[in-house]
Amino acid sequence: MKKLIIINIACFFATAVLLSACKKNIGNLNSPVLESYDNPSKAQLNNLVSGTESGMRNNQAMYLDVVGMIGREMYRFSGAEPRYTSDLLGAEDAVLNNNTFYLNNPWGSRYRVIKNCNVLIKGATNSSALSAAEKKGYLGFAKTIKAHQLLTNLSMSYTNGIRLDVEDPDNIGPIVGYPESLTAIAGLLDEAKTDLTGADIVYSLSSGFDGFNTTAGLIKFNRALAARVAVYRQQWTEALTDLNESFFSLTEDFNDGVYNVFGNGLGDQLNLAFFPQNQNGEVRVAHPSYATDITPGDDRINKATLRTASASSADLSSNRDVWVYTSSLAPVPVIRNEELILIYAEAKIQSGGAGLADAVTALNKIRTEHNLLPYAGAVTQAALTDEMLRQRRFSLFFEGHRWVDMRRYNRLNQLPIDRVGDDVWEKFPLPLTEN
Amino acid sequence: MTNQLKLTAIALAMLVLPVFVLAQITVSGTVTDANNIPVNGASVKLRNSGIGVSTDDAGKFSLNIPGNNGIIEISSIGYKSQAVDVSAGNASALIVKLADDVGRLDEVVVTGLATSVKRRNLANAVATISSKDLSGTAPAQTFDAALNGKIPGANINANSGAPGGGISIKLRGVTSVFGNTQPLYVVDGVFINNTATPANLNFVTQSQAAGNVGNQDNASGRIADLRPEDIENIEILKGASAAAIYGSKAAAGVVLITTKRGKQGQTKVNFSQDLGFIKARKLLGVRQFTAETAANLGGSAASADPDVIAGRAALKQQFLDAQAAGKIYDYEKELYGNTGFSRNSSVSLTGGSEKTSFFFSASQKDEEGIVKYTGYRNNSIRLNIDHRLNENIKIGVTTNYINSSADRGLFNNDNSGVTMGVALSSTPNFVDLHPDANGVYPNDPFAASNPLQTRDLVVNNEGVERFITGVNLDAKLFEIGKSVTRLIARGGIDFYSLKTNAQFPSVLQFQAVNKGTSIQGFVRNQNTNYILSLVNKFTPSSNLDLTTSAGLTQENGNFDNMLDVATQVVAGQTNVDQAGALTATHFRTQFQDNGFFVQEEASIIDAITLTAGVRLDKSTNNGDQDKYYTYPKAAVSWNLTRMDFWKGDLFSNLKLRAAYGQAGNFPAYGSKFTAFPIFNVDGLPGSLVNIQRGSPDIKPERTSEFETGIDFGLLKGKLNFEMSFYNKTIQDFLLLRTVPLSTGFASQWVNAGDLRNRGIEIGMNAQPIATKNIRWTSSTNFWMNRSKVTKLTIPPVELGAFGTTLGTFNIEEGKSVTQIIGIDTTKSGAGIVTKLGDTEPKFQMNFTNEITFMKNLSFRFLLHWKYKGDNVNLSELLYDLGKTTPDYDADNNHNGVIDSRDRLSALGVTAQPFVQEAGYLRLREVALYYTVSKIPKGLNFIKGFRIGVSANNYFTKTKYKNYDPEVSNFGSGFSTNVDVMPYPASKRATVHLSVDL
Repeated sequence: MKKLIIINIACFFATAVLLSACKKNIGNLNSPVLESYDNPSKAQLNNLVSGTESGMRNNQAMYLDVVGMIGREMYRFSGAEPRYTSDLLGAEDAVLNNNTFYLNNPWGSRYRVIKNCNVLIKGATNSSALSAAEKKGYLGFAKTIKAHQLLTNLSMSYTNGIRLDVEDPDNIGPIVGYPESLTAIAGLLDEAKTDLTGADIVYSLSSGFDGFNTTAGLIKFNRALAARVAVYRQQWTEALTDLNESFFSLTEDFNDGVYNVFGNGLGDQLNLAFFPQNQNGEVRVAHPSYATDITPGDDRINKATLRTASASSADLSSNRDVWVYTSSLAPVPVIRNEELILIYAEAKIQSGGAGLADAVTALNKIRTEHNLLPYAGAVTQAALTDEMLRQRRFSLFFEGHRWVDMRRYNRLNQLPIDRVGDDVWEKFPLPLTEN
Repeated sequence: MTNQLKLTAIALAMLVLPVFVLAQITVSGTVTDANNIPVNGASVKLRNSGIGVSTDDAGKFSLNIPGNNGIIEISSIGYKSQAVDVSAGNASALIVKLADDVGRLDEVVVTGLATSVKRRNLANAVATISSKDLSGTAPAQTFDAALNGKIPGANINANSGAPGGGISIKLRGVTSVFGNTQPLYVVDGVFINNTATPANLNFVTQSQAAGNVGNQDNASGRIADLRPEDIENIEILKGASAAAIYGSKAAAGVVLITTKRGKQGQTKVNFSQDLGFIKARKLLGVRQFTAETAANLGGSAASADPDVIAGRAALKQQFLDAQAAGKIYDYEKELYGNTGFSRNSSVSLTGGSEKTSFFFSASQKDEEGIVKYTGYRNNSIRLNIDHRLNENIKIGVTTNYINSSADRGLFNNDNSGVTMGVALSSTPNFVDLHPDANGVYPNDPFAASNPLQTRDLVVNNEGVERFITGVNLDAKLFEIGKSVTRLIARGGIDFYSLKTNAQFPSVLQFQAVNKGTSIQGFVRNQNTNYILSLVNKFTPSSNLDLTTSAGLTQENGNFDNMLDVATQVVAGQTNVDQAGALTATHFRTQFQDNGFFVQEEASIIDAITLTAGVRLDKSTNNGDQDKYYTYPKAAVSWNLTRMDFWKGDLFSNLKLRAAYGQAGNFPAYGSKFTAFPIFNVDGLPGSLVNIQRGSPDIKPERTSEFETGIDFGLLKGKLNFEMSFYNKTIQDFLLLRTVPLSTGFASQWVNAGDLRNRGIEIGMNAQPIATKNIRWTSSTNFWMNRSKVTKLTIPPVELGAFGTTLGTFNIEEGKSVTQIIGIDTTKSGAGIVTKLGDTEPKFQMNFTNEITFMKNLSFRFLLHWKYKGDNVNLSELLYDLGKTTPDYDADNNHNGVIDSRDRLSALGVTAQPFVQEAGYLRLREVALYYTVSKIPKGLNFIKGFRIGVSANNYFTKTKYKNYDPEVSNFGSGFSTNVDVMPYPASKRATVHLSVDL
């Protein structure tokens, strides 16, 4: 009888084991995983290219808000988020926090794109599906974008530095200081230029790259960024050389350039830097000084349109909306000709000598195009620097430059203080997780 | 071979043999309580058989038993069991008098997947909630809410007052930080899915855009679908020592739910109807403006800016005009002051023959919320059938169909100013938001949305169709001498489809960009599980009982969520194709867990119980999906009063007990992958690395719990105490740690360290009065828990709220798991982050009483006291920032500065004002019921009639300043108790009517 029990128990377990024996291996049901890029196909690499381009837009609006507020270009009022007007403006005793959305979100989004670029670089290097020229095409794009994203974060952290070597998440490189990082970014752009020279572009880019989606076009884009880095490094001759190889033109449209574009297609994004005019609660308004400081007749006043009623929050108020991105599909420039003209003027001013006349020509191009009379001030380095910064302020309004420019020229103390006890911050702390 | 055939034949013969036994006697009699009042529904069973009936309303029963004699066992909840020897001589007109069981010592409590023991021999403090405790006093809207305040050792917190549930239940402290913190729910053997699926309101509210990426959509956990009225009994295995046999799903405890079953006898029909109303528990009031304070909204009176001066003048005029026209409003009252009507109708049938019994119920609940156009509806049909194939095989089938619909409104945190709470917080009382004659709503000039328009036009609905069915098979395989072997198989399916429907028509103030949004989510979720076990009961002598069980388990889950977000929706349309733009997301998870277990229980002289067991589990969610993890358990209990040497009658019962066990918690699906979600641009498909880094080596969390206690009864069982101490450690707890953002990732799952919970639970059950006319039973419980992170292999992790400026959680070695930290520069140096509070209450108590007068009138109440424990209250801050706090202009601290200014100047300086004590004393339930004992002649078809009135959450005493101390902006996970403009909590009053036919 005991035997029977054992046999029956054995049968029972055998059946049950059979039931559960169908071994399952459930992978990730929702998306590709890192391992799928070990030896990627062209289609997979192209997805990484588009993902990289798409990712550049993540938290871009927040970056514009944050540097726009510290640079006293505008106010971001939010019914549910007091820290825009407290921390960013240094209200009373408030300081920039090292673990808060206004720092972590943009900072992390840039490094996320950099990670994607690194996966793209590694994938393209290891892929058996590419010719040497095709490989160079992917590498050149990835490195150019990586350099741009590093520069954006360096603009926030300034002398607190950034991390350059982030390929291996288990073994990330050290924090590198401001001048060294700029040098490395310039080097990366040069490397990318070398890669792009003689490359085959076998991937598609969005319409934001229209006119720049060829080997030659991407090199021009790359050099435009190099020119920006050069003026940040005060390497005026290099800046002029870079401009020559870029799409800089005193005659072409100011808006020529490379953009981040938006769409309402599947999985696409809308431009969050757009708010309709005359909103309440959640608003972006121009700093009152924008309208008071602008020369009457300057058409750039249209970037700050009058509201039907002033918006106020936390003892701040303004009667003009920020009206730079005028629809949810309006593109945000990565770099455009108007900035290049101003970089040209800046490099010429700082080179001094005969260059000052070239600078005046460039500045007058900006002035006349915006409905102003030609420059009539003193043709000295100091006076022209003032004028150049002034034109940058209005030409590049809410494109993320004002704060950086005033810092470059040690003029943060010239930015207006709106409330007693407010501060103008020089730089962001490094995010808590980087310490 | 022939030998074996012979044996099989014998075995088969044994299975059918009882059918041929002809000799039988009929046993009949009456069961009463100590006061000779008939006990209705008592179970009368022949020992060691499946033969049994239950008593009728007069306490009478009649039972046929085979043979000429036997032992019948009579039991009923709340009474001590009795065994009576019957033979042909004394079989008729038995009178069985049952004694009260105040300490519930005779209650049968589960100890394994297929075994159970009487409470008097139990080694753990297992909490049980009877049908009467659950919904018999003042019924709550949903099942989860009905548990609140009733489980000693639990920290239960309602996420908000939104209709349709949403409750966090943490048993004996936090058992996981990022893993599952909620217990496993098992209904009649079927593992029930309790996922809360967000409707992606975030697309509109942008709540995850800034401070915290945690979901703030306020979805309800799906356990809320269950109808409390169908539940017979709930057992709560609070920790690993009791729940180890559930292995890697049991770390947060297990809630075992048994639904009502049929009883042999005449079919009983019950009809019950509840009618009631629901009101806001508390309204805060609104700021009363004056012409001057209205002008101040436009800027400082000292300003020389002509814009400000003009703005001030305009606001002043607006106020004066509104005042003159009598158009000063109380928008808080308009939004939250609705009196909701509630209705709950149910019909149930219970009955059965000797072989088959059934329980059937059909019910509908329809309740309105305290905000217009919100509410909850639940339709449920249940059929439970039990059938005895023969003397040895029993089969039971439970089926439950549920259709529920919850309109939850638009609440909680947002970053686009669209939720009703956030809009209300910046809307002063002198602006007119009401629609004109054509139904056109004005824009709210003080907010991004007009809250009245949002209330009237926005739809946020969760609709569920759910089917839960389970099968139980209990077959006696062999009975050889003193050994009985049974096969017990349980399993079932929990299937639901959930539709989330969020509509934001284009006319809304905040739809200027998207021009109408429709968010439609579809969830198909299927969970299946089975437990196959063999249980051998061997009784070598009357002093020794050995129960051996062994078995296999499997659980499968398959969750599939499609979410469509349509914008530029054509006016009046809701379909996602009636739109200018459409984005879709698709998210799936799947898992399969396999396990097996063995358990041995020994009962010696019915006084000492020893248990040992082990469970092995593997899961496809683990880094190594083929690795089995082992979860052992052992327990001992010794009932001293049942020993021969025990003398004296001070103690009617005295038991010492200790138990140890381990349980686990699987990593979340997808923890091991570094994924590349889709990020398109301009029609080009893009892959962008996820911010969560995969952990290929991720392991389950392991909880080890040691529990010990002493239970004793005094005064002949009229006063019973149950005292427990537990020490629970969680090793390798799962943490979504933050990683340097420069890696491109934000977080990664790691097994980050160890944490510990220690606590005490003391329960007292008493029957102070038991006379013929008054019977009073009382139960008091005290419980407390302290937690500590004992090891952390990574730097401290801030999580769960909005950063240190506003107060947040911080997992830090040596500190309480639930501590709240924040900046506080007022005390020490600048920017110093320090501990500001803890969500863990110092202790909790409940006090349940039932007093019955003259058998007819019964008064019951439940008081719940949570002593201290803090919330992060950001609602008050938002009211302050919006300049509408009711005490905005007050200066209660007499420092010459208005209090709102004091509070606001703390922003960026200290988070102390936002961390607020959230203890409370709450009268959770109070009710009065009257049972009509004499039915008038001519109405004889009515067998019973009961009426009652009840109030639920009607009284709360708290220092907490927002709507309710129970709140959670982030739902039921780790970080409860963060308050950001929730749907305000409600209270209910109900009239009950119940008729038995």
